[in-house]
Amino acid sequence: MKIRTRSYMPFAMALVLASLLAGCAKDGGDSAPASDSAQAEASKPVTFTYFNAAVAGKDGNTNETVLGKLLEEQTGVNFKIEHLVGDLNTKLGVMVASGEYPDVVVPDSGIDKMLDAKAFIPLNDLIDRYAPNLKKLYAPYWDQMPSEDGNIYIIPFAASHGFVPDMYQPGAFYIQRGVLKEFGYPKVKTLDEYFDLIKRYKEKHPQINGGDTIGFETLTDDWRFFTLTNPAPNLNGLPNEGEVYVDKDTHLAYATGDKPFMKRWIRKLNEVNSQGLLDKESLVAKYDQYIAKLSTGRVLGFFDYGWQIIPAMQNLAQAGNDDRQFIGFPLVFDQGTKDQYLDPPTFATNRGIGITTSAKDPVRIIQYFDNMVKEENQKLLFWGEKGKTYEVGENGRFFRTEAQIKQAASPEFLQSYGFAYYSYYWPMGAGLYEDGNAYFPDRQPEVVEQSYTEGDKTILEAYGLKVFTDVYSPPETRKWYPVWSANKQQGSPEQVFEQKKTDLQRKAFPRLILASPDQFDAMWDEYVAAFNKLNVKSYENWANGVVQDRLDGKKR
Amino acid sequence: MNEPDSGGRRELRPSPVRRGGRALARKTRWGKLLEQRTLLLMSVPFVLWLIVFRYVPLWGWLIAFQHYRPGKRLLQQEWVGFDHFKFLFQDESFYLVMRNTLAMSLINLTLGFATAIMLAIMLNELRSAFFKRTVQTISYLPHFISWVVASSMIVNALSTDTSGIVNGLLLKVGLIREPILWLAEGKYFWGILGISEVWKNLGWNTIIYLAAITTIDPAQYEAAEIDGANRWQRMLYVTLPGLKPVIVILLILNLGNLLESGFEPQYLLGNGLTADYSENLDLFVLKYGIAMGNFSFATAAGMFKTVISVVLLFGANHIARKLGQPRLF
Repeated sequence: MKIRTRSYMPFAMALVLASLLAGCAKDGGDSAPASDSAQAEASKPVTFTYFNAAVAGKDGNTNETVLGKLLEEQTGVNFKIEHLVGDLNTKLGVMVASGEYPDVVVPDSGIDKMLDAKAFIPLNDLIDRYAPNLKKLYAPYWDQMPSEDGNIYIIPFAASHGFVPDMYQPGAFYIQRGVLKEFGYPKVKTLDEYFDLIKRYKEKHPQINGGDTIGFETLTDDWRFFTLTNPAPNLNGLPNEGEVYVDKDTHLAYATGDKPFMKRWIRKLNEVNSQGLLDKESLVAKYDQYIAKLSTGRVLGFFDYGWQIIPAMQNLAQAGNDDRQFIGFPLVFDQGTKDQYLDPPTFATNRGIGITTSAKDPVRIIQYFDNMVKEENQKLLFWGEKGKTYEVGENGRFFRTEAQIKQAASPEFLQSYGFAYYSYYWPMGAGLYEDGNAYFPDRQPEVVEQSYTEGDKTILEAYGLKVFTDVYSPPETRKWYPVWSANKQQGSPEQVFEQKKTDLQRKAFPRLILASPDQFDAMWDEYVAAFNKLNVKSYENWANGVVQDRLDGKKR
Repeated sequence: MNEPDSGGRRELRPSPVRRGGRALARKTRWGKLLEQRTLLLMSVPFVLWLIVFRYVPLWGWLIAFQHYRPGKRLLQQEWVGFDHFKFLFQDESFYLVMRNTLAMSLINLTLGFATAIMLAIMLNELRSAFFKRTVQTISYLPHFISWVVASSMIVNALSTDTSGIVNGLLLKVGLIREPILWLAEGKYFWGILGISEVWKNLGWNTIIYLAAITTIDPAQYEAAEIDGANRWQRMLYVTLPGLKPVIVILLILNLGNLLESGFEPQYLLGNGLTADYSENLDLFVLKYGIAMGNFSFATAAGMFKTVISVVLLFGANHIARKLGQPRLF
């Protein structure tokens, strides 16, 4: 029986070819009328596109949220928000290659790519003419914002006024509360005291929760390798500035890789390892395993940043055993060294939001930005509506009731109310309002204190602290801080140096830590020799250039 | 159309054109093409796709000779000649990286072939179709797990903690006294990688060989049995030679991919301690090319890979022809 292939073959062929052509057809470009006179069309409803490459999130329109709707009533502007899915460099690369951008883009670490491709429009004129509030808010930082050609392409976030410490602890050496309780809440200031406590506790309790007690845990996974290397300058009384540290008096930058404090820190880890206090697996583990180990409650101590250990802390809080939870201290090598774990107040100019060359109505957009940075709108965006999401006490201090705190912790509420969209990644201030309240609820002491558990309060009392970040010394001003935020060109020698240096340290440091103590010095010398073969001098010169430029008030 | 039966199977041969065309001699090349014109037409979309997406973009290789910065038009870019190739070949880690790439590729190739063929032959000998199908399904399930998940499973299995089954097993049996930190030793990395790749791809690779075995004429087996061959000998002298064309073709194709030693397993399972053994060409290009936005360098490395792969492919095919084996082209 011959199948009648002929009769529907051509039809099938045509179908395939047609679908091929349909897939290749280009979408007709939307042409939106540009608004000629801003005043006349000031409250005509319009929607602009906004792309956030910094975080993942739910896409949607701002006017679908309470806050977005309120802002739309004030300005007539709605933003269609799109978040990044997948790889940042790929997505931005495609945008750049096609030359078509959303109206507004938050490029995050892809900022250099976008600036290179001249994707943003200069904002100087627009701000001068249409955005007086914006100009006032950013006045203290105005001279840091332009690029080398004098144009402002990016509005950085968080124009701070007044200093308020981060409520998520910046780096600290964490130790289990049970350890401190056992020995009567001793003062822990130096690294040696810290490890001594851990050693004694481990000897007394070789098992916790059914598994072996782990003395100290570190993290080396992929881009989180800084968790291993950052403690070194901190222990020496320096803030973390990445690959270099800057002498406060001479303002000269030096690479940290081969300095005595780095050697001292790695040697201490080597010593701790030979005593069996270090979890060897932490040198090869991935981040998920690290968090899993921390969550079991068997780890007595580690160094990390508050934002990196959130899942583990949540797990431990849920498990409910306060002894197994942690408290962090800013340790130093020697008694009397002032700790500088807290970052000095900075204005990170290498992150921000920009209006692209594809924007159809930059004037409307700038006016929207201007409107949102007015103080009453800032209070609206971060605190919400009085009586609904926050309350005001007799002395004018803002606070939240327990119900409101709970409400603000729910992701669905944050999304539907609009906090999820407006909490960052827009032109905004930071620090304190003119009436002294903190900009963000989670940095307002009245709100933070509400969320403390019994265990938290006990340990805070034992150490005489009001909030956990009271353990830190206030930061000293460093006008150039931080060197690591300076823009680097793609493929520049600085970038190559950083990559090679990271490669070298990733190979050498774990080996140094696992080696037997008598081989340490010889191996360290080998490492330093290899380190010096890299282009250290040129990197230090570049860093010096950055420091000098920033001290002179130029943007780098 | 009514062919005589041969050995109980009907052979299908293309029938000469009857309607709407002349009966052309089947011997000339054009004659053959015209006969099979429906098949050719079916392949047109795919050939088009191939040309548009694989051949037309080749002109972008120009980027490898420039210092490419997005935003400027292609012809306005700065030309740097062979600088990127120089950076590639003169980097001190390049030869280490090449060594790792080739070693891991060859290990995967040999292990992959050997295990897949063995499993296919063994499965073929099974009588129970149910058991055969169950084993097949279980064995090719890991292929569908992404490497991110698979590497998490592998890292857990190799852990020195209580969850590490490998260490647990070895300790219980008494082969080792202390758990070994497998992922900290560069020397073990190639072995771990080989075993992981086998675990992941074994079942999938077996499918092709099983399919190839079914095309072997059963009459040959019967003849061998009559001649007194036992199971082993039938395997050696009937099955394996019957598989030869498939094996050679797949070998040629895989040799062309020798520089493609994989990216995800090395990226996910490697770490600082094993870097000397785990870093391959793809990781190197990622670090110094794409991650830094250095598209020119990434293109140069890609060009290098393509050239070598083409040479290997043609070379392998040529050797196959010389040896009288079935070949790709």
